[in-house]
Amino acid sequence: MSATKAGATKARGVKARGAKAAGDHRPIRIAHLYPSLLNVAGDGGNLIAIARRSEWRGIPVEVVAVEKGQTPDYGKFDVVLFHGGQDVEMAVVAEDFHKHGPALQAAVDGGTIVFAVCAGLQLLGHRYISNAGEVMEGVGILDLETRGGPQRFMQHAACEVTIDGVTETVVGFENHSGLTDLGPGCEAFGRVLAGAGNNGLNGLEGARAGSVFATYLHGPCLPKNPWLTDQLIRLAVAHVEGVALAEVALAPLDDELERHAHDVALAKAMANRGRRTALEPAKLVRGQK
Amino acid sequence: MSSLIDRRPPAHKTSLSLRMFLALMAGKSAARATRLAGRGGGTSITGMVARRVDPRVLERLVRDHGVPVVAITGSNGKTTTARFTAALLRGEGITVSHNSAGANLVQGVTSLAVSYADMRGRLPDGVLVAEVDEGALPRVAPELAPRALLVTDLFRDQLDRFGEIYAVAEAIESVAAGLPAESALVVNADDPMVATLAPERTGKRVTFGLAIDRSTDRITRAADTIRCPKCRSDLEYRYVYLSHMGDYSCSKCGFARPPLDVAVTSLEVVGLDRTRMEIQTPVGKLTAEVPQSGVHIAYNAAGAVAILVGLGVSLEHAAASLAAVGPAFGRLEKIDADGRGLILAFAKNPTSYNTTLRALATEGEPRQLLIAGSNTLVDGEDFGWLWDVDFETMAPKVERAIVSGTRADELANRLKYAGVPSERLTIVEDRKAALDAALAALPADRRLVVLTGYTPLIELRNEMMRRGWTGRYWAV
Repeated sequence: MSATKAGATKARGVKARGAKAAGDHRPIRIAHLYPSLLNVAGDGGNLIAIARRSEWRGIPVEVVAVEKGQTPDYGKFDVVLFHGGQDVEMAVVAEDFHKHGPALQAAVDGGTIVFAVCAGLQLLGHRYISNAGEVMEGVGILDLETRGGPQRFMQHAACEVTIDGVTETVVGFENHSGLTDLGPGCEAFGRVLAGAGNNGLNGLEGARAGSVFATYLHGPCLPKNPWLTDQLIRLAVAHVEGVALAEVALAPLDDELERHAHDVALAKAMANRGRRTALEPAKLVRGQK
Repeated sequence: MSSLIDRRPPAHKTSLSLRMFLALMAGKSAARATRLAGRGGGTSITGMVARRVDPRVLERLVRDHGVPVVAITGSNGKTTTARFTAALLRGEGITVSHNSAGANLVQGVTSLAVSYADMRGRLPDGVLVAEVDEGALPRVAPELAPRALLVTDLFRDQLDRFGEIYAVAEAIESVAAGLPAESALVVNADDPMVATLAPERTGKRVTFGLAIDRSTDRITRAADTIRCPKCRSDLEYRYVYLSHMGDYSCSKCGFARPPLDVAVTSLEVVGLDRTRMEIQTPVGKLTAEVPQSGVHIAYNAAGAVAILVGLGVSLEHAAASLAAVGPAFGRLEKIDADGRGLILAFAKNPTSYNTTLRALATEGEPRQLLIAGSNTLVDGEDFGWLWDVDFETMAPKVERAIVSGTRADELANRLKYAGVPSERLTIVEDRKAALDAALAALPADRRLVVLTGYTPLIELRNEMMRRGWTGRYWAV
């Protein structure tokens, strides 16, 4: 099975792309930013989900790790993944990304898809101001700003996301203390169904501007949200082939396990609605159960 | 000669309060009731009930009586290190009270003291060896006033509970820094964040680690702390021994692994069953063959030896003591399941999973797999870390996997994306039914590998005990 460029046949089935040998298409090129620094929350699962779901359809994928000190030619990539990390690693990344990250804007203008999580979201914004007042400068690709908050949101979470006119539920696990406010230059990635979202106040989750998607949802997010993963793959195929998104349809996959994982996480998120954290971690750290 | 393991008589006269008597009675009764009901060893409920009656029961039993305590904390290796420590102390003729079942939260440590105490609130002479959960340490440590505190390592574990590994480090730091000067702080020097704990403290400090001239691991996606704890530059490793543990230095600021007081100078892991090692100590060299497998076993054994060094206890019988310590329950434990071979393997975070998978791979396993994970207070809510485990290396071997526990969904999805075809995956959430299903389908020439987090481990091991396959987990 394979992805489809329906424009060639007018049918939005699997024929067009499946009829060609895989070699006829260049692979989806994915840049994985700072994988050795931003590696703690299982977010690497997002890359695994995109890669496997592409390969299962016969769409080749090429992954390049971008580490500290490198200035990649972002324009070469169809997808850029920018994940979460702990405070120490985030500070290291912030310093490097401030130097090398602004080049990403031109690629985004050219339609490169960005999927960012947590620290990635924060550093794509204008800045992160910690509780101690330290400022980490972002690159301003997303019109948002984040301040350190008094507590950590750690819980199953769910939101509604609309892409290409279709609205679906997206689930994940929040683990952040930053409070993010969106400016007029971007919209939210989703509307909160359960969880704190960007700041626990306005019901907005993550940020989106064109082909840049940013969320606070770990989990990792994509493996248990196959619909979202497939939308990113569709966008990537459209970028590879230089066609409109409407012209790309993907062959269906057996998603029984993915849907089960999605539904379990959704049920946990909805059951936890209204509470701020799953386990009151601050108390546990002090051993005051 | 006064040593760190002498009981220090209380400064003021302690008397048995009615409240503590009732707490002991209630706790011990709860344990008995749990065991009679066939619901485990009562390793947590004892302490929970006793604390309900007397919240100060632990410090009354231990600190008020000046009982010498060894506390063992860190992310991985607490249970095995505590077992080695208990064996080494016993080998030198010292009586040991020890929470061998690994119940290590506040209730579990309280259970330890309550179950060993007599009804007059007296603990046996000798040493209390307590493994303590790294999150519970700040609360438990003041009640124990340990003479030796060992920190095994710091890996990401339950980030949904702790937020970040740095929060765990801070919690341990606060306890280590406040340890009395005469108490021994025993640290794994090969773990950069552990090596630098409590730098301002001037009291007794014993370091342990590996000093072998080859790497036994490489830095993988599971590695947590490979940044210099002083200047945050990338650390350089001369040798990597296990995940981020190794012989490291920082070329930016000159920080490097501190000198080792106790060093493993030669190491040979033999299959799933044995590890041979030489351990250099300040009082001479030990050669030991331990009936457990893995590089982590060398760390655990060296840590236990370092505790005795810190306490000033002799190591006369150490080699024989170490050689007699088999695996703790569920640590690659081989079990005869009515004539079927079963390997029970506990794994709870990326590093312990990868270590366990590597050990299993030496015997071509796992082929027939029962894998389980559950959301509980001890096992955590967020199972995202499963995506950092190198399941990809395991996937081609797996012929069949029964996936169990309340987070079977995440596990099954992870295995599918690691390359186990979905037709080889079956979800059976109930642990007992999963065990039956896995054994019913087990080909005659195969063993069943059971890979599980803590809560399903206890459930499955209890079930195996009921079926007469194993002894009690709290007595192993």
